[in-house]
Amino acid sequence: MKVHRTLDDWTLLGSVFDKIGRRFLSTVFGKQLLLFFSALYSFFAEGRNLRSDLRNIIRQIYFTAVEVFPVLFVVSVLTGTVTIVEALTVMPRVGFSDAFGGLLVVVMVREIGPILTAFLVSGRSGSALTTMIGTMAINSEVDALATLGVNPVRYLVMPALLGGIVSMLLANLLFSVCGICGGFAVAKLLVLASGESLNLNLSWHYISESILLSLTATDFVMSILKPIAFGIIIFINACYHGLNIRRDIRQVPKATSRSVIYSFLFVIVIDVLFSLFYIFDYANQMSRII
Amino acid sequence: MDLTQGEALRIEDLHFRYPEENVDTLDGLNLVLGRGETLCIAGASGKGKSLLLRLIAGLDKPDSGAFYYFGEHLPISQHTALEVAHRGVELIFQNGALISNLTVRENISVPLYYHHRGTEVEIERRVNMALDLMRVRDEQEKYPHMLSSGVAKRVAIARAWAMDPRLLLMDEPTAGLDNYNRNTLLPLIDNMQALFKTSMILVTHDLLISRELGADLCFLENKRLSKRMKFEEWLTSDTPVAHEMFRNLRDFQSDFSLS
Repeated sequence: MKVHRTLDDWTLLGSVFDKIGRRFLSTVFGKQLLLFFSALYSFFAEGRNLRSDLRNIIRQIYFTAVEVFPVLFVVSVLTGTVTIVEALTVMPRVGFSDAFGGLLVVVMVREIGPILTAFLVSGRSGSALTTMIGTMAINSEVDALATLGVNPVRYLVMPALLGGIVSMLLANLLFSVCGICGGFAVAKLLVLASGESLNLNLSWHYISESILLSLTATDFVMSILKPIAFGIIIFINACYHGLNIRRDIRQVPKATSRSVIYSFLFVIVIDVLFSLFYIFDYANQMSRII
Repeated sequence: MDLTQGEALRIEDLHFRYPEENVDTLDGLNLVLGRGETLCIAGASGKGKSLLLRLIAGLDKPDSGAFYYFGEHLPISQHTALEVAHRGVELIFQNGALISNLTVRENISVPLYYHHRGTEVEIERRVNMALDLMRVRDEQEKYPHMLSSGVAKRVAIARAWAMDPRLLLMDEPTAGLDNYNRNTLLPLIDNMQALFKTSMILVTHDLLISRELGADLCFLENKRLSKRMKFEEWLTSDTPVAHEMFRNLRDFQSDFSLS
């Protein structure tokens, strides 16, 4: 009778590490990390089929980035308007009229843009994903996939994750561009409507120059890193809560709200961690000047 | 030749306990199934029959015990559904568990494409064969919610068959079916067994299945499996479980003196 050497035969040292590793992987964070890496790995694992994978990923991108665009557009334009109007009216009063573009960049590109995009995507696609996977798990469709040898992580999580990350990048870019351009247009309209156009120095030339001057290389890097990090958090969270659902139909709405709330929480936490970078960056620049 | 060559499944000393309970649900269960054999498992509800199938399919992890699939030991640390499916074991769920956003045809073809079972032409041919075998060709463009439970069950069997399983586990294949559907389903299962020599384990409340398939029957009692006997032997057996399970059938037999 053929008996494999099993993973259970450890040396003493090995068993200690084994226990630590298993304890870590049994926490929620460990499980989510495991889900993330197994989803990434499954893209390259055996049985890959680039054509059908790409089809699934593109379907997810369409659902996440394209269908959310109308809402995203309105939200970004109005946020841009509010920011521009506030900046125009408040900044000169406190004596920082030069910092106008800097404020726009900080608000639209660095902070509010990625966060609002993450909230919109999480509220729409993250919740939809948790509901779908959770319902499938309850109807034992996930189990059925596994017994057919179809890895649920590969079939369900991987396209959602990769599509989600790409969509977050796209949505974030759209948010920044629409926020600044659309916000400018609406703010201009508001200024014209109020009849105060002579007192307010609002020209596209002024805004664009001021923005371009205050954009730095770190802003570009951050506007790529942030959406990727937020996308990973949102979609891993959504899939995790969907897959680990208790076998009870009443758990679906609970899991959905839990996934969205935790996504919000972790997105903000990670955002704070990112802002640590700005603190170091600022301190660096200051010490260089001094 | 190795003696275990003829074995499809061997379970030794299986223990399982639900995390929230303090008594074992399965306690020291043993099972040996030869290749091409069919075994019906019956017993009272809630005693862990479906659980046993889930354990064999790898969907639940046992606390202890040894599993040998086709003579090959699978350690508990690797006891997952994907590993078990890799060894040619398929489970058919009680409700069919078809993927609800795919049509019947896609339900059967998606796993085949996933595993790269041949070229597109070969896969489509295999799907057609599976559809014909289970007589669900007419329903191939329908979605699972449009199917009756009998057809859904046949589609689930077709999906499992298309994967070319060596061991097929069926959870209540006839539950919730009317007599007509039941009587059309059983010959199909019998055909599969005869034509493709698939080993099968059926969990069922319907004791007559074992007679119609000519299969061994055993009961899950006292947290382990009882002796295996043919239906007719159980009918005349003197054990308590035989008396309990076959009371109706025996009365029926004595009333109408059925052979």
